Amino acid sequence: MLLWPCALLAGITAAIAMLEAGPESALRHAYLLPTLWAAVAAGARGGGVIGLVSGLLQAPTALPAVERLGLTSTTIDGFVAIVMPLVLGWGAGRLIDQSRERADQLRAILDVQRALSREASLDTGLAQAAEKIRATLGADRVSVVLSDASGEDVIVTDAPGRGQVDPDSAAARCLRSGRAVMLADLRPNLEAGGPSPVRGLVVPLDAGAGPLGVLALERAGDMPLPFRSAAEEIATHLALGIENVRLTVRQRRFTEELETKVDAATERLRELDRAKSEFLSVVAHELRTPLTALQGFSELLLERELPPERTTRFLRHLHGEAGRLGRIVTELLDLARIEAGRGLDLKPEAVNLAELIERNIDLFGAEHRGHRFEWSLSPELPAISADRDAIDRILKNLLSNAVKYSPHGGRVGVVAGPAADQPGMIELSVEDDGVGIPAEDLPRIFDRYVRVANPQTASVRGLGLGLALVHGLAEAHGGRIEVESLPGKGSKFRLLLPIGQTQFLANFPNTSA
Amino acid sequence: MLLLSVPSDRLQTPGRPADWPAAFQIAAASLALMVVGLALERAGGFLGPMSRALTSGAVHAGFFGLGWVLGEGGRPGWRGPVIRLGATVVVASLASRVVPWGAIAYLAVPAVLLVEVRRRGGFGHIGFTCPNGHAVGLGVAAGLFLGVHLIVTASLTLGYAVRMGSTAAYLSAIAYDICVSAVTVEWLFRGAIFSWAWRSWEFVPAAALATALAVVRYLVDPNLPATPEVWLGSAFYTALVGVSACVLRAWSGSLLPGYLATVTFFLAYRALGN
Repeated sequence: MLLWPCALLAGITAAIAMLEAGPESALRHAYLLPTLWAAVAAGARGGGVIGLVSGLLQAPTALPAVERLGLTSTTIDGFVAIVMPLVLGWGAGRLIDQSRERADQLRAILDVQRALSREASLDTGLAQAAEKIRATLGADRVSVVLSDASGEDVIVTDAPGRGQVDPDSAAARCLRSGRAVMLADLRPNLEAGGPSPVRGLVVPLDAGAGPLGVLALERAGDMPLPFRSAAEEIATHLALGIENVRLTVRQRRFTEELETKVDAATERLRELDRAKSEFLSVVAHELRTPLTALQGFSELLLERELPPERTTRFLRHLHGEAGRLGRIVTELLDLARIEAGRGLDLKPEAVNLAELIERNIDLFGAEHRGHRFEWSLSPELPAISADRDAIDRILKNLLSNAVKYSPHGGRVGVVAGPAADQPGMIELSVEDDGVGIPAEDLPRIFDRYVRVANPQTASVRGLGLGLALVHGLAEAHGGRIEVESLPGKGSKFRLLLPIGQTQFLANFPNTSA
Repeated sequence: MLLLSVPSDRLQTPGRPADWPAAFQIAAASLALMVVGLALERAGGFLGPMSRALTSGAVHAGFFGLGWVLGEGGRPGWRGPVIRLGATVVVASLASRVVPWGAIAYLAVPAVLLVEVRRRGGFGHIGFTCPNGHAVGLGVAAGLFLGVHLIVTASLTLGYAVRMGSTAAYLSAIAYDICVSAVTVEWLFRGAIFSWAWRSWEFVPAAALATALAVVRYLVDPNLPATPEVWLGSAFYTALVGVSACVLRAWSGSLLPGYLATVTFFLAYRALGN
C-alpha cells in the first residue's frame, strides 16, 4: 500500500539530488504528494510514516542552514518544511481514518439490522451480526450473549449449544451490572501468552429498558477509545435490532393466535347457526305433531257422534299430546332462561334418591316393556339436599335417552350410591347397551341443540336440549355429569352430586361454556 | 471465549507480577560493581584500563538481570541464569580491553543468552520468538535508512565523515554493539519493559516509556561526547530507533526486527568519524 508513495519519495529525492537543488528548492514541496497519497491509501499510520520519512529526507538540506545561520526566517522555514509533511500526513490520514471508521460503523449497523430482520431465527441472525461486527471492528473474536429476563434462556452465538456462560465471567458481570467491562490482558495467568496482550471488552446490549445481553470482543493488541466507542454504538443498535425482532416475533405470534381464535369463533358461530336452524326445524316438527293430533282428535269429537269408549280413548290421546306439548314448552322456556343467563328457580329440599329412582324405573318399565331395567341401589344411599323436580328431570332425561338409543330388548341399568372415588359425593349412573357415541362427538354432547348424527337413530325424536339441561342442572347443584361411551357398545352417564348442603348457584350457568 | 468461560477475577489478577526484590538485588549488585569500577578508574595504575570495562560490563549485566526478572515475573530460580549471563558480560568486557582481539569474547554473550533462554523457556511473551521475513527486512530497512540519514545529516551539519580509523577498533565496537549493547537494549527496554507496560497500557504510552528509558541509557553513556549538538542528535536518533523498534516489536511480535534495526543503525553510526 505504501510502495508507490515510497517510490515517489525516492524519485523526488533523486530529482533534487540530480538537479543539485538547494534547500529552497521548490521541488521539496513535492514531498507532500506521496505523503497525501499515503494518507489517502493507508490513513494516519501511512500518512504519518511517509510524512516522517519526507521530513527526515529534507532534514539534511535544512539543518546545515541552521548550523550556519542560526534561527532566521529561512531556517525556520526549513524547520516548517521538515515538520509539515508529518503533520499533514498524520492529520489528513486521521481525518480519512475517522470518515472510514464512521462509514464502516454505519455499514455494520445496517448490516446488523439487515441480518436480524432477514433471518427467521434469532440465533442465525445474531451469528451473522457478530461476524459483521468482528469484520468491521477488526476484532479477533466476537460473541453475542442474549438472555431473557429470568436469565435462563441464554443464546451464545460463537459457542455450540446454549447456556455456556460462566456465572462469574466478565460477560455475566456486565449483564448483571449493565456496565461495560474492559480487561487489559486476558491471558496473563492462563497460559504462557503471546507476544501481544489480548484486550477484552464486554458491552451491554441495552435499548433503554435494561440489558438484554452483552457483546463481548477480544482483540490482540490495542483497543483504543474509537474502537470502544464504536463497539458501544454498535451494541446499542444491536440491542434495538434484537428488540425489534422480539417485537416482530411477539406480534406475529399474537396475530396467529388471534387468527386461530377468530377462525374457531367463526366456526363455532357457523355450527351454532346450523344447530339453531336444525333446532327450529325440529321444534316446528315437534310442535306440529301434537298440535295435529290435538286438532284431528278435537275435530272428530266435535263433528261426530262417537261411542263413549272411543271418545274416552280420543280424550286420552288428547291428554297425552297436550302433556307432550307442555313438556316441549317447559324445555323451551328453560332453554330461554339458559340463553338469557337467568337462574332457574330451584327449591332445595331433602330428596330421597332411592324412592325417586324406583318410581321412575317403575314408570319407564311400565311404559317401555320391550326394555329390560336393572337397578342397584346402595343401602348407604343418603338423602340429599336438592330440587326434587330438577333431579327428577335429570333422571327422566337420562332414562329417556337410554331407552331411545338402545334397541328393543336392550338393557338399561341404574346404579346409585356413595361415589367411591369422590368423597362427599353420591353417584347415579345410567347405563345402556345402545348405539353409543363416537369419541369425537363426546366433548359436545352437553352443548345446546346438539344431536349426534347416526343413521340408526335418525327416527328418534328430540330437540337436542336434554343433556344440556342435565349438565346445567347438575352444575346448579354443585355436581357434574360425566359420560363414557363406545360406539356399538353403549353409553354410561354418571351424575355426581354433593351429599351435604348443596351450594346452589346464584345464576344458572351457561351450559355451552 | 475467555470473556464468557473464565471467571473475571482470574482474568483481572495481574499475571507474572514483577519480582521487585529480585530487581533491587540485581540493581544493587550492578551498582556495587560500577562503584568498584569507578573507584579503580580513579585509583589509576595497572587496573585503570580495566576499570571502564568493568563498569560497562556491570551496567550491561544489570540490564540483562533486570530484563530477566521482569520478563519472568517472579519465577523462582532466576539467580543461576542471571549470574551466568552477568559474569559472561563482565568477562567479555574485560577481555575486550585486556587481550588484543579480545572483543571476540562478546560473541559469547548472545550465545549464553540463547542457551539460558532455551533452557529456561517461557520468554515468548516478551518477544523472544522468530519473526517472519517481512519483519526482518523491514527492521534492516528502518535501521539502514536511519543510519544513512545519520551519516548524511551529520556530515552536512556537523562536518562528520565516514572514516574507518582502525579496523580492529571498528570491529571491536561493532562486536560490542551487536553482541552486547543492542542485545541488552532490546532485551530490557523493548522486551521486558515495553511488553510489561503494553499489557496494562495502550501502545503509545508503553512505547513512550520504553523509548524514553532507552534514550536516557544512551545519553548517560560516558563514551558519548558531551556536546549539545551530539546530545540532541543522539536523543533524536535513538528515539527514532527506539520508536521504530517498538513498532516492529508490536507488529511482528518479535524482538529480532527491532534488534536488526538497532544493529544496522549502529553499524552506520560506528562508521562516522569526527
